[in-house]
Amino acid sequence: MYRDWLNLVSEKGEGIVKAVLWAQFAKDKRNPVVILLYIAGCILAALLFAGGVQSPSVIAIFSEEENASEIEKKWEALLNTDDSLQFVIVDPEEARENVRKGNAEVAVELMQMDYRLIAASEELPSVSYVQQHVGIVFQQEAQINAVESSGGSNVRQEIENYLEDAPFQLEARGLDSEAVPQYNMSTQLLYAFTFLISMFLLGFKVNNVTNDKVSGVWNRMILSPVSKTGMYSGYIFYSFLITMFQLVSVLIVFKYVMNYEIGDNLWLIILISAFFTFSMISIAMLITGFVKSPEQFYAIYPSVIPLVPLISGAYMMPGTITNSALVFIADLFPMAHAMEAIMSVVFYDAGLQDVMMSLMVMLLIGVVAMGIGINLMERRRG
Amino acid sequence: MLETINVSKSFKGKKAVQDVSLYLDNGESVGLIGPNGAGKSTTISMISTLIKPTSGEIKLNGANTINKPEKIRKILGVVPQELALYQELSAYENLKFFGSIYKMKGNDLEKRIQRALEIVGLADRQKDLVKTFSGGMKRRVNIAAALLHRPQILILDEPTVGIDPQSRNHILETVRALNEKDGTTILYTSHYMEEVEQLCDRLYIMDYGEVIAAGTKAELLSILQAEDTVKAELSKMDEAFIQQVKTIDGVRKAEASHLQLKIIAKKGSNLISELVHLADQHQLQIINFHTETPSLEDVFLHLTGRTLRD
Ligand SMILES: Nc1ncnc2c1ncn2[C@@H]1O[C@H](COP(=O)(O)OP(=O)(O)OP(=O)(O)O)[C@@H](O)[C@H]1O
Ligand SMILES: [Mg+2]
Repeated sequence: MYRDWLNLVSEKGEGIVKAVLWAQFAKDKRNPVVILLYIAGCILAALLFAGGVQSPSVIAIFSEEENASEIEKKWEALLNTDDSLQFVIVDPEEARENVRKGNAEVAVELMQMDYRLIAASEELPSVSYVQQHVGIVFQQEAQINAVESSGGSNVRQEIENYLEDAPFQLEARGLDSEAVPQYNMSTQLLYAFTFLISMFLLGFKVNNVTNDKVSGVWNRMILSPVSKTGMYSGYIFYSFLITMFQLVSVLIVFKYVMNYEIGDNLWLIILISAFFTFSMISIAMLITGFVKSPEQFYAIYPSVIPLVPLISGAYMMPGTITNSALVFIADLFPMAHAMEAIMSVVFYDAGLQDVMMSLMVMLLIGVVAMGIGINLMERRRG
Repeated sequence: MLETINVSKSFKGKKAVQDVSLYLDNGESVGLIGPNGAGKSTTISMISTLIKPTSGEIKLNGANTINKPEKIRKILGVVPQELALYQELSAYENLKFFGSIYKMKGNDLEKRIQRALEIVGLADRQKDLVKTFSGGMKRRVNIAAALLHRPQILILDEPTVGIDPQSRNHILETVRALNEKDGTTILYTSHYMEEVEQLCDRLYIMDYGEVIAAGTKAELLSILQAEDTVKAELSKMDEAFIQQVKTIDGVRKAEASHLQLKIIAKKGSNLISELVHLADQHQLQIINFHTETPSLEDVFLHLTGRTLRD
């Protein structure tokens, strides 16, 4: 195996990988629309769900209590601490009407110490994001009230003073302290969708191995002087290149055309994306190892992949998923690690050193999944 | 130069090929014939090192190929039963790819591609996508892809399945030319006896995973020397009549399809008068009647009690 890898970089082996790359590329070149659709799909998803990064989503709030305006004023001030969300007081009838007609995804009904979300569907990522934000604000307020009522007099003032003048800088979100970096949920969603779509793309490219095995092209390669390693490398490398092309195109469009806030250190982000891509290609190989036909892959893969960002918490604020079983499963997929690394680069100016651990974990997942996947495929052939 | 010795292959305990021994001499053209599921493709896959036999040996010039497949792969061209091509690419692009995995490049590759396209008669359609080709043309590209590295042994697995007579003749002529002009050793698989009769010096007949007969055409036909094949056209079909024909002394087989009755019987048996007598009894006429020289199809019928195709 090791000798084979050496062979690949040598003059002799190079041609094979090139031949496979060439054939795969020649096929895609006949159908450039497909890859363009993947790029367009990413941008469209970003527009639809991430809702444009600069303009915050406007969320209607209202109260139907007796002292409605007092309650609305109080919570309006407390809720408006997130850059990507803007809470605006609206007439209750109008707010409900808007949600019913689908003009707004969600509105918040306020009570003295409680709230209720008015939404047509709970499924939308934007709704769960609003819910998290509002939930946290209400919880904090409840805690402050509890401390105050149990004797502490000026707790709110003290907490605010403390945060502004903390003895050491906390890497945490404060009530509304300026010193703490602003976490932008829209940016996170942007990456989540971009990765989701690239997982589809790379999966379908990896599935070409199974396609070619069924058609008999694979057997032709086996009879040629190509080594197995050379064959697999060709397919893997091609999936990698095409997925990276899609990812980088999308990132460049986001950053330079649409001026989204996707971070300044684009090179490091691309590096993390590359590790993610390799790692996920391996997972796709592993899935390929389990299926019997390309059709089965088309049935299984698209139903599994959308779950990955979901359990990886890519649609939610970091730290939302606490169930240890879910966290464990999420950690088996590269997405959780890639998101974590990229968010720390974008929002906390993390450097290569800081994300090294995530990169290594993705590499490890990649190597293990690839090993098992290829083994399964080879064993199947008997 | 190439031989298999008692090779067997089981898939999950189910025997697909059992104790097959066959050989190919340099420059020969050998047929492998048998009905669906007889084990032809499995045998070919083992010879071409794509699958390993469960037991038995395969030797190239006396050297075992099973664990050292490189030598045989080098001199072997395989035309698989399925269309192992990229439908989305042109004929030329397909050949370019299959040539480059054999490490051919540049001028040499270009020449070989054009030569292979000429052989199968597709030079003028080379820029067209394979998916736009007719079934017969696809089959021809499938053959061309196996010729690029100029193999000494060419194995073809049912290369004429499901195509028009014109393409079929073209393919048969191509294979014959490769064998006669270029001296390529041929192993040709089919379930059309007439193809194998036309093309091959020797043949192996397989059924249910085993070789049930082998030899030159003459040798195989001699199996039937002691027998006559009689064909009769009947005025109407009568199952009871057929059953009684089977009981006539000396009759080995009696098969009827539509109004045609085919009987294989021992030479010198009193078949004709018995037949006329029985027809009388069942009140039917024998409209037409003749004795045939046996064909290889008859050999197969004789050996298995079935026709090659239904
Ligand atoms: N990979 C496999 N797994 C399980 N069974 C198999 C496999 N390949 C072949 N068989 C079985 O082995 C037997 C022989 O198949 P094979 O394909 O060799 O027949 P064949 O003579 O080529 O038939 P055909 O004329 O239909 O191509 C069949 O019963 C088939 O179902
Ligand atoms: Mg077959």
